[in-house]
Amino acid sequence: MEGFESFVGVNFWTMIFAWINLLILFLFLRKLLFNPVKNMIDSRQKEIDDMYSDAEKNKRDAEEMKSEYEKKIGDADAECEKMLRGAVRKAQLREEEILREADSKAQRTLERAEEQIELERVRAMNDVKDEVSTLAVEIASAVIGRDIKPDEHAEMIDEFINSVGKDG
Amino acid sequence: MDVTINGPKIYFTIPIFGGINITQTTVSLLAVTILLIVTAYFLTRHLTKRPGRMQVITEKGVSMIYDLVDSTMGTHNRKFAPYIGTLFLSSVCGSLIGMTQIFRSTTADLSVTAAWALVTTGIVWYEKIKNNGFLGFLKGFTEPIVVMTPMNIVSEIASPISLAFRHFGNVAGGSVITALVYSALAALSSFVFSWLPAAVSAALPPVFQVGVPAFLSIYFDLFSGFVQALVFSLLTMVYIGEANPPKAEVPATEGEKADK
Repeated sequence: MEGFESFVGVNFWTMIFAWINLLILFLFLRKLLFNPVKNMIDSRQKEIDDMYSDAEKNKRDAEEMKSEYEKKIGDADAECEKMLRGAVRKAQLREEEILREADSKAQRTLERAEEQIELERVRAMNDVKDEVSTLAVEIASAVIGRDIKPDEHAEMIDEFINSVGKDG
Repeated sequence: MDVTINGPKIYFTIPIFGGINITQTTVSLLAVTILLIVTAYFLTRHLTKRPGRMQVITEKGVSMIYDLVDSTMGTHNRKFAPYIGTLFLSSVCGSLIGMTQIFRSTTADLSVTAAWALVTTGIVWYEKIKNNGFLGFLKGFTEPIVVMTPMNIVSEIASPISLAFRHFGNVAGGSVITALVYSALAALSSFVFSWLPAAVSAALPPVFQVGVPAFLSIYFDLFSGFVQALVFSLLTMVYIGEANPPKAEVPATEGEKADK
């Protein structure tokens, strides 16, 4: 059969051509088709993954911030309450203090007034005593007719005055 | 009515190295190579993050090949995906190019499928020697027991042969059956019109050849072309995958070696 290869047969040179074609096709398709398309798919996939993880992260951050702010607001409320209570207590303390001070001041003034009165009374008494003793000495002198020396008869005079004071 | 089944036609012979035959197969191989390279060039000329219609289809095809490689060979063998894809596309286009009636199917030539099968065997042996060392590769023939050695050697030689003949046989057989059916339909036409005067019936075209072979062609060319390409690629993947198992298994075999 001239002009044809055998139907079931292996021709070495055809095999060489098949190898060369396969090699060329492999190199070209890898460079032109498989690697660029695969890289494109992978980079798109990566971009999508990044976007999702970013969104997830942002959401988590926002929730964190929200709870933080809520906590802060709650803290501020509590702080305010505490301050208010402290101020009220302080005011009460101050009030009591002022009252106590006023009390004690009044007490002191009263005491001092009483002391003054007592002092005045004693002084008045002494004055009266002196007056009376002088008077008594004069009367007695007049009655007895002779001088009574106050120094010598002090004991007697005092006794007299005291008895008079008791009656008065 | 003669039915002649021929091998690929020899166009001319380059008179060196004892004569290099330039056949239909050689031309078809070149045509397939140029066709695929040009197609790939135009498909991937403007790759963008937001794909157009053609890019979506291209990406789908490429990722299908990668997924197939991942599931059959494991992700550690992903580097073989471009080769598997090349093999698959060469095979499909090589088979389908026969439908043009201008070119002869490349895969209807045993030389081509044998060459591809030998590449598979070459990769398998290379991976085995790389993973186990040359002695480990030879020792692999004596497993699981020494008695199995001849059978292991036979199966090692048989696998590329069966790979080559399976693909060749399907495509070539399809073309043989198509040729037979064509001549049978021609005979039927001339039989049906035999009541007409001889001069008229000879001038009539073989009308029954219209239509019927198209259905055969759908099976033998289109379906068989895809299936055989898939089978060839899958078997290649399985063989290479076996030769290069996942890395988790490699330390175990190394541990065995260290024990001895």
